[in-house]
Amino acid sequence: MQRYVDTLLAEIAASRVLPGGPLETVFFGGGTPSLLPPELLARILEALDARVGLAGGAEVSMEADPGTFDGPRLREYMRLGVTRLSVGVQAFQQELLTACGRGHNLADVRAAIDAVHEAGPPSWSLDLISGLPGLTPDMWRESLQEAVAAGPGHVSVYDLQVEEGTPFERWRRAGRLALPPDDAAVEMYGTASELLGAAGFEHYEVSNYARAGHRCAHNQVYWLGLPYYAYGMGAASYLEGRRFTRPAKMRPYEAWVAELAARAAGGVELPLPGDCLPRESPEELLLDTLMLRLRTADGLDLAALAAAYGPAAVRTVTAALAPHERRGGVAAFDGEGRTASLAEATFAALKSAAAAAGKGPEPLPSLQAAGSSGAGAAAGASAQRGAGEEGVAGSGRRGPRVRLADPQGFLLSNDIISDVFAAFDITESGRGQAAEEAGPAAALAQA
Amino acid sequence: MASPLLAQQGLKGLARSRAPQNSAPLAKPPVRTTASSRCVQQLPIAPQRQQPLQRLVKAASAVLPETEVEKGGPGTEYANGSVAKVPVERIRNFSIIAHIDHGKSTLADQLLLKTGTVAARDMVEQFMDSNQIERERGITIKLNTARMKYRSKRDGQLYALNLIDTPGHVDFTYEVSRSLAACEGALLVVDASQGVEAQTLANVWLALENDLEVIPVLNKIDLPGAEPERVIREIEEIIGLDCSNILKVSAKMGLGIEETLEAVVERVPPPKNTTADPLRALIFDSYYDPYRGVVCQFKVMDGKVSRGDVVTMMNTGKEYQLDEIGVLAPHKVQVDTLYCGEVGYLAAQIKSVQDARVGDTVTQKKNPAATALDGYQDIQPMVYCGLFPTETDDYQDLREALEKLQLNDAALKFEPEVSSAMGFGFRCGFLGLLHMEIVQERLEREYNLDLITTAPTVVYRCITTDGQELTVNSPADLPDASRRESIAEPYVRLEMVTPTEYVGNLMELANGRRGEFVEMRYLTDSRTTLVFNIPLAEVVTDYFDQLKSRSKGYASMEYKVIGYRENDLVKLEIKINGEPAEPLSVICHRDTAYKTGRQLTSKLKELIPRQMFRVPIQACVGVKVIASEAIAPYRKDVLAKCYGGDISRKKKLLQKQADGKKRMKALGKVEVPQEAFMAVLKIDRDAKD
Repeated sequence: MQRYVDTLLAEIAASRVLPGGPLETVFFGGGTPSLLPPELLARILEALDARVGLAGGAEVSMEADPGTFDGPRLREYMRLGVTRLSVGVQAFQQELLTACGRGHNLADVRAAIDAVHEAGPPSWSLDLISGLPGLTPDMWRESLQEAVAAGPGHVSVYDLQVEEGTPFERWRRAGRLALPPDDAAVEMYGTASELLGAAGFEHYEVSNYARAGHRCAHNQVYWLGLPYYAYGMGAASYLEGRRFTRPAKMRPYEAWVAELAARAAGGVELPLPGDCLPRESPEELLLDTLMLRLRTADGLDLAALAAAYGPAAVRTVTAALAPHERRGGVAAFDGEGRTASLAEATFAALKSAAAAAGKGPEPLPSLQAAGSSGAGAAAGASAQRGAGEEGVAGSGRRGPRVRLADPQGFLLSNDIISDVFAAFDITESGRGQAAEEAGPAAALAQA
Repeated sequence: MASPLLAQQGLKGLARSRAPQNSAPLAKPPVRTTASSRCVQQLPIAPQRQQPLQRLVKAASAVLPETEVEKGGPGTEYANGSVAKVPVERIRNFSIIAHIDHGKSTLADQLLLKTGTVAARDMVEQFMDSNQIERERGITIKLNTARMKYRSKRDGQLYALNLIDTPGHVDFTYEVSRSLAACEGALLVVDASQGVEAQTLANVWLALENDLEVIPVLNKIDLPGAEPERVIREIEEIIGLDCSNILKVSAKMGLGIEETLEAVVERVPPPKNTTADPLRALIFDSYYDPYRGVVCQFKVMDGKVSRGDVVTMMNTGKEYQLDEIGVLAPHKVQVDTLYCGEVGYLAAQIKSVQDARVGDTVTQKKNPAATALDGYQDIQPMVYCGLFPTETDDYQDLREALEKLQLNDAALKFEPEVSSAMGFGFRCGFLGLLHMEIVQERLEREYNLDLITTAPTVVYRCITTDGQELTVNSPADLPDASRRESIAEPYVRLEMVTPTEYVGNLMELANGRRGEFVEMRYLTDSRTTLVFNIPLAEVVTDYFDQLKSRSKGYASMEYKVIGYRENDLVKLEIKINGEPAEPLSVICHRDTAYKTGRQLTSKLKELIPRQMFRVPIQACVGVKVIASEAIAPYRKDVLAKCYGGDISRKKKLLQKQADGKKRMKALGKVEVPQEAFMAVLKIDRDAKD
């Protein structure tokens, strides 16, 4: 652990800091960060504050698994600056915890919730997994009720993904995995939305629910396409338009940090991890935007899209969404946040885009406008400022927009988003420059 | 035999295999005795072997007065001496016959190297196969000729050796026969570790029909698995060639190359000297060149031809003034005149290969020949399929691409096809499945088109109740059952050569595909030929794949169309979501309709992704539903998490999903992927009920 943190600190020291002010969010995730001794956490946070700066009132989240912490440990973390916990409860049934091979049992879950209550962080999330083998609709309802009763400000519901190379995949291939059937999974997704909604949670992203003021600000940074730092094994950063993921295993990561440090020692300017990669092209940025925003309740701002990518992009998107609107998978809103048809929202967005263009020529109906003019980034920045504080309804601001309906649109999000992707005939041509200022966020990953 | 289609195939030797002496099992095939025997079949089994070669060479060498020196005549040199004109008796025109992978291209390369025609440093491996698709598939589609200059060790004289390449696939039988007609000899290359294959046999027959001297060559003798004695026995017993002085070669190692060249000089007869006759030149290949127009390869059979001559194509009647004539060495070298026996190329700003077709005869406009050369055929496509662009905007591009390919491919036919389901596209006709695949691949690769291809069908003949005869190349065009008097379908004679142990498997395969057993011949102790008459429609499916899988890859096959036969055929209509899906319909035999219907619907259920609604799939004959399946609607397609800031992975998954969608076509309200249109090829026809 000590050695890993040393390497992590070496990475922070060797990495260039971009202009853009202090960090407004920090997230410790991946692996089990709650195993981290407080003094090591202190060193990391001090290093970040010294190198990049930590804004007053910054959201500092930490993933914590039941069985790895108690109340005093959490209080210690909070004293060091942690403001938000993300507790990986996963399930409230012992048989499911056993089946999914989690390291903790039901007693650990209860103790963890008690410990969180004892520590009283400003905000915390209770994380559940849906689609576990053996999960029944009744169990699921029970888990959701228990989750609400535990009183978190935020609930994440992740669907079990059977990944290649995991025991789950081997079991599935051997036919030993009794995953809930599709219809049951659909029903459970709906139950979550309904039950949490009734308890005052907004379903603000495909897998995330929050009470007013409890959205995870850090996640918003990802979803709005804003830049973020990252340090540590397997961590993904997005700086100056480049997405870069660090080595996910200890040895290669150490080697990589050593190389980074050597570059830092030899150069005039510190290196920026991933700086040898090409920047995301405007086309890729567009796909990022579409994918990430359509997974959120705030949805896709059509006026901002028109400003950044031109009216043709808006027409392409909404034409691709139209069949889904007819099936109830897509909802649209006018500039005042009132429900509107997709056609009305499109019309309103294109009208305002034409007005904004003023007497000048109509913006080219191409994707090239997305480069350095930064209209997309501007829209993102404003949203980012509001992140975490927006109301539950979240629909009374910005331009005309479109979102996936909850739950039927969210349930089919892959199908719908890939339809939108397919509507753009994007090729490898024109890797544009996506100059974005590095902004105030940092992600840390740790094994 | 009277079938026009059969006549179009020009398969004069076809009767041979039906001759009674061959139908008895265990009968040994006849042994060829003279170079001029037209119908090998009627010869008795003749163990004695003659050596007609020297006799022919001697007979030819008495003629040609060397005194008559003309411009471009013997002694003239071109391209810094790399092309030297020689008298007719020192010309040798030959081709190489070989089964795929038996080493034809490698041997050709070695001949070019040994004669100094191509320098080693310029040698692109397998020089003769210049098309990328050919290289990848290891087959030759476009013909190439190479004129080589060779000084014989035997007599110290300079010879002009013309190696004329032949396409190596059954789809191109006509082209092969025309190339062979330009030759006097052929090297038969057989892999010493493999043996004789059905295709080898078919091409040897074509060579013998064209009176070629066939010289057997045993290749790959260096391989550890080589069994020269067994393979020699096969060549003697199956093909009936004298192997007492067979050439033993390893083209790869460069062994036996000089001996091969000497054998060509010594044993291939020179062309007949008919320089004084009116010009007749046989076109054996043509291709489109954007600068010269169509470039034809031809052999001067009689007379001579010079640059600037005005010539007539005797079959199409078109007239052209020759801009350029020359030889391929193997690069183009212009010459002034080509004489009887010589092989060369011509260019005359000919617009399309349709105007200068393979098999046509070139003659002088001023002094025309009385009759054209034999063997010209109009090409009739055997297999049709629909080609539709996935993007409707690409329709014009597809038309232009097809037009360009047609400039170079006289066998490709196409006409616009409009389908309510598929939109605008083309119904395209091909010589066979390979030809079809090559055209599709070129359209996708060279013209960057995304295509949906419908399952291939053969050409049916339908007699209507009012006595009309219709040619039907698409199930959609078949009249209603109430308006049909009868349907006839093309039959082929299918020959499968297999090691004896797989005979049972292949019998079962052919029987299961409506094949009628004709005969079985034990070629050698370990190899057997099975002959079936079988509907072409059954062969144009996964037949070849099945043949290979049931014989562990050892069997080979060869087929020829033998005519039409009336059968109890029905149209199996597919309905998706209640709407007829014309592009998925098939014509099949009534007896197999039920099984095919069930398998097709179940395959389509597998291939068509779930939609937002329940999708019934039905197979119907007339109004009767004979099979049905339904695809349950899907309701969930969500990946939960964008892993801590790493969105690239999720984006890739969605992009992949989007790419899949681009290759779908909406049939009514249902999105159908490309593979579904080929579903009929994928069903397990041989499954037991």
